[in-house]
Amino acid sequence: MSRGARTRRPVWPGLWHFLTFGAPGITVYVCFVLAPIVVSFGYSLTNYNPFGPPTRFVGLRNYRLLMQDPEFLLSLRVTTILTVIVVVVPNVLGLAIAVVLDRRGWFYNALRTVFFTPVVLSTVVVSIIWIRLMADDGLINQALRGLGVAGPPGWLSDPAYALYSLGIILSWQMLGFCVVVYLAGLQGVPQDLQEAAAIDGAGPVSRFRHITWPMLAPALTINTVVMLISAFKVYDHVQVITKGGPGTGTTATVAYNVIQTGFVANRQGYASAMAIVMLVIIAVACAVALKILQRREVQL
Amino acid sequence: MRRRPGAWTSTLSAALCLALGAAALGAGGCSVKDGSGGASGSGSKEITFLVFETPNLTPQVWDANIRRVTSKHPDIKVKKLVAPTQDRTAYAKQLLTSGQFPDVMVAVSPAGFAESGNLYAWQPGELKDFTNPGNGAVGGKIYQLPANTQTIPVVYYNKSLFTKAGVTAPPRTYAEFLDACAKLKGKGITPLVVGGGHDALGPTWAGILGTEVYAKNPRWMHDRRADKVKFTDPAFVSGARKLADLAAKGYIDKRDLSRDYAATQQAFMDGKGAMYAMGNWFAAAADNPETKPTFEIGQFFWPSDDGKLVVPAFTGGGLLVSAKAKNLDAAKKFALGFQLDKTNLDTSTANDGLFPAIKGYTPPANAGPVFKTGYDLYQQGVRANAVVPAFGFEAGDDGMPAGVVEKWDSAAQDLVTGRRTPEQVARFLDGEWAKGS
Repeated sequence: MSRGARTRRPVWPGLWHFLTFGAPGITVYVCFVLAPIVVSFGYSLTNYNPFGPPTRFVGLRNYRLLMQDPEFLLSLRVTTILTVIVVVVPNVLGLAIAVVLDRRGWFYNALRTVFFTPVVLSTVVVSIIWIRLMADDGLINQALRGLGVAGPPGWLSDPAYALYSLGIILSWQMLGFCVVVYLAGLQGVPQDLQEAAAIDGAGPVSRFRHITWPMLAPALTINTVVMLISAFKVYDHVQVITKGGPGTGTTATVAYNVIQTGFVANRQGYASAMAIVMLVIIAVACAVALKILQRREVQL
Repeated sequence: MRRRPGAWTSTLSAALCLALGAAALGAGGCSVKDGSGGASGSGSKEITFLVFETPNLTPQVWDANIRRVTSKHPDIKVKKLVAPTQDRTAYAKQLLTSGQFPDVMVAVSPAGFAESGNLYAWQPGELKDFTNPGNGAVGGKIYQLPANTQTIPVVYYNKSLFTKAGVTAPPRTYAEFLDACAKLKGKGITPLVVGGGHDALGPTWAGILGTEVYAKNPRWMHDRRADKVKFTDPAFVSGARKLADLAAKGYIDKRDLSRDYAATQQAFMDGKGAMYAMGNWFAAAADNPETKPTFEIGQFFWPSDDGKLVVPAFTGGGLLVSAKAKNLDAAKKFALGFQLDKTNLDTSTANDGLFPAIKGYTPPANAGPVFKTGYDLYQQGVRANAVVPAFGFEAGDDGMPAGVVEKWDSAAQDLVTGRRTPEQVARFLDGEWAKGS
């Protein structure tokens, strides 16, 4: 059939099709995601304070101040440490637990439910439980004292421990998510590949390294990106458990700093600049992580 | 396949309706309860009233207080809004920015709301019944009814633990106070019970700064606003050093910073420490038959170096009225009626341990012993002209700019944990003041 004889696909029915199915989602996305981002960026270029002097355009001044603000830089450091903990710990432990739970039977099904339960619990509930556990006279220190430890650490009150305690709490809550994603990945590994490798003399470690682990690449991508985003925008745990302390900013994440600056100190222009910087960092970190991890998936 | 004409438009319309519906639901997320006690009708004037609930200030207490006023003014119908947490000021900000600013609010900090023209400025004639009509002014005007006085802190002490440690009388000078702390610590008793938040550690620091800063210059905060003094000045640094020294000597246990306000109070009630620097509202729990401790409680004000009496106190904390209330006259009438009702005032003494700052008011004869002792101590302070502002608990022109109090709180924790030196804390606070003003 000659090129000229091909019938052209009509444009308008395709457009109607797109509008019918795409418009609702796009409308919601534009109204509730894109528009607030654009408005926030606009605020970040002003000295906006709903209770203060008249709003005026200040250009990039807020961004310049941010780069010299020790509190903001400290919150970036705190957020980075928390993110590293939350990306690494639930991934490593989640994979180990998923391998153990990748069996049939009611007992393993029950264990999967147990591990997933913290994910669906309210953050406030989780936080209050851990406050009770980690307080100086909480259950953990009572147990340590019972074991003869004279001066157990102040898990939430000592600046040297508080951030890592928060990391443990976040990891505990996110662990179940990683377990479930890795379990789904494990169940997609063909059994015949494992059997063929076993016949060829490959041991369990070798089979895991050369078959299971490479085939879990998509699960690793999902877990890493989700943990990265979750950790970077942590606010509620900090608000309930430590309120950014003990002391000044020892556990204050960027998200916590944004809320404090915007809604306690009322400096909403400056807080908007923080939020935009946070958005850019999350976007870049996720893009880099996706690029690296998806390249690994393609190589399979 | 041909599409039914108009199908995509109806889908789009439905999606838009859903989106708008979701937005409306989100905006209407506050808790609204009718607390009018039944006053309604075509001639009634409706007002909204923002309150907060605590174990002492229960829904029943608020409803009864509201009903007492509406029964005197049947033309007023009240819709009670309940703040979702005790931070009613933050909630009021949310309501303002979402166009739902309440007509009347209780114990919301006026800072910010007043300057932006959102609050009604009370006229002198309307304040004639208040004992301190000028307290808490913002720009020279009163936006919050100066309804009650709180002494912050009173040092409550466990008499049996004092006896056990051989401390025979409450300390009158700071040297005696340190001596008592040393004796208590020597017996394995934690001298001071503290926690981590504003209400749990703040009163201790307010006590120190009352004697170190305000006793020497009661207008210190005004002078700070005018840039005549700094946090780095010797008086403030000396106060910061005292707090750091108490922690360094083990008289304050830095691990106690993990406690919240409720746990801190409970720790003192459970006898886990000998002294508890707290606002006089603690009397409500200490006198409550269901919560009062088994030991006897004594009280003294934070001792100064030379033993001169210093009584840090804050008068304010009352109702505020929105300048843009639809029924402004009804809102004003309700606020004044609520604040001056004798039964409501008695309720506030019993449930919140407050000292009503209303002319001619006397506490009820059946008030608890801890309340009565605290009230008498405060009256002694008034007679001795020893009352100074309560550092960190002031409001309006007497207080710090928005956001700085939270830094003052975290700086106190830095001193207790030893993370910052007194000089570093002072420099930090001057920096935060510059950002906030």
